[in-house]
Amino acid sequence: MATYLEINKKQVNEEKWEEPFYINMGPQHPSTHGVLRLFLELEGETIINCTPIIGYLHRGVEKLGETLNYNQAIVLSDRLDYIASAANNTAFALAFEKLMGLEVPRRAKLLRTIVCEMARICNHLLWLATHALDIGAMTVFLYCFRDREWLLNIYEKICGARLTHSYVRVGGVRQDFTQEIIDELYKFTEEFPPRIYDYEILIDVNRIWLKRTKGIAVVPPEDAINLGLTGPCLRGSGIAYDVRKFRPYDAYGEVDFVVPTGKNGDTYDRYRVRMEELRQSNSIIRQCLDKLPETQGEPVLAENAPDLLMPEKVKEPKPQPVPKKGVIFRGVEKPIVPVGEAFASIESPKGELAVYVVSDGSNKPWRLRIRTPSFVHISAIPYMAKNHMVADLIAIIGTLDIVLGDSDR
Amino acid sequence: MKILEKALLIEILKGLALTLRKMLFAKPVTIQYYDKVRPVPAPGFRGRHALVRDEKTGDTLCIACLRCARVCPSKCIHIEYEIDPQTKRRKVVKYEIEALRCIYCGYCEEVCPVNALVLTEWYEYVGFTRDDLIFDKEKLLKNWDEFIVTQKRPYMNPFWKPRGIPEKFLPAKKRQFTGV
Repeated sequence: MATYLEINKKQVNEEKWEEPFYINMGPQHPSTHGVLRLFLELEGETIINCTPIIGYLHRGVEKLGETLNYNQAIVLSDRLDYIASAANNTAFALAFEKLMGLEVPRRAKLLRTIVCEMARICNHLLWLATHALDIGAMTVFLYCFRDREWLLNIYEKICGARLTHSYVRVGGVRQDFTQEIIDELYKFTEEFPPRIYDYEILIDVNRIWLKRTKGIAVVPPEDAINLGLTGPCLRGSGIAYDVRKFRPYDAYGEVDFVVPTGKNGDTYDRYRVRMEELRQSNSIIRQCLDKLPETQGEPVLAENAPDLLMPEKVKEPKPQPVPKKGVIFRGVEKPIVPVGEAFASIESPKGELAVYVVSDGSNKPWRLRIRTPSFVHISAIPYMAKNHMVADLIAIIGTLDIVLGDSDR
Repeated sequence: MKILEKALLIEILKGLALTLRKMLFAKPVTIQYYDKVRPVPAPGFRGRHALVRDEKTGDTLCIACLRCARVCPSKCIHIEYEIDPQTKRRKVVKYEIEALRCIYCGYCEEVCPVNALVLTEWYEYVGFTRDDLIFDKEKLLKNWDEFIVTQKRPYMNPFWKPRGIPEKFLPAKKRQFTGV
């Protein structure tokens, strides 16, 4: 495939051409969910080839994280996947805690699980809203945003922000829930399942929805693994891989939930998986809330957690056989964080989010590497879009659930 | 049966019935912002910055320890101080917060040992120029005056003493703090 610059030049100069038609979709296209640019090679209206071009939202989060200390780096994670920032916070905090060898109190674990599952509901509601709007269902969009607003209001009470929470910190969470928040969450978990039923009435059997989603972008299980898909996209192909079940973190080991899977691996199955996940998340929140009274009064931060303002240097006295008087005290520099490396991965709403951190003993990470689900999912677009119509590409972008802040970092 | 259901548009009619029911009987969730309803943010909402005015001296409580400036991830707080020759104490000369660079994480109010800084629940603020949103000491004190008249005294921000945090993490002055 020739580069797009050459082709554009050629098309401008020639009056007639018999080769395929080349077109740019994005970065300003509204249904690419951000600044994704797709370079399409068309035969009529069928896509022969598709090249995703990313990097329009690159902010250098990995490099920036090496200039900030561990607690400050968590703030950056809010800006990765800004729809579900609590999940990103948790991934960072888990990696840093593994590095420092911290034991998080049980209450903090439960609170983290609750905010993570709230993030999952928020994310799936926004996904359903925009995906349905792209395909042509307007009412679902309004209903989903109504319910997401409720969750954002609860977030505001929990941590004082609606989108960029930075609620999780290294060694626990920043503050405890009040009784008011717990009551409101109970109310939410009771009222939410009937609302999922409402969305399903609107689109589940709707003939337009079925025509736009059934048999579109079918990914067989083997290909889904080879493409590196994770999260609901992989589970839609029938593989029950979920980090929450395989390597339980936080309080996921002590709650009951089912990992929903699809059969055919098409867009409709991925939609069904996500709708089922909404119900499961709701039940996880409920179970965690029931467990909260057992831990009433416990601290939400580990005793040996680092302070928000991590010191740049820590000195310990030099071992001296005979202490002398009148000698200026000179200590030996002690590593603030153990030297080594750590890796932690979580099931973020979009897929598997992993953080790898290397420490050289100072208060800043020496290297920070983030594996984001959106980046891998974008690389699957050419495979999924092949031999589909241009209109189906919108459904494919929607079903992968990508956020460009997450992929470009 | 299935053909009949398809011919009569049953599933579409079900959806339409739901929207019609919501339209006629459900309470509207849309709010008429500014004209009728102005949402009140939850306590602890991280909005416009303010420096707490000390009622005795009429000046800020800040002791220029520079902890907020060091913990800020976006480095938007600039402080200059001088040392009083008689009392040997630091005195703030310049205190500046660039609201345009601030990411509203709330770390600064959490680390402040004397609770001099607060992110208020004030969210409706704009500026015509960039300079309007670079808050100096006078502006920050004025922000506090504007904010505190809307609040019940004594005022206590949740981030000054986060709930459930072990006492070890709080400086001595914060442990007994009950509000201003």
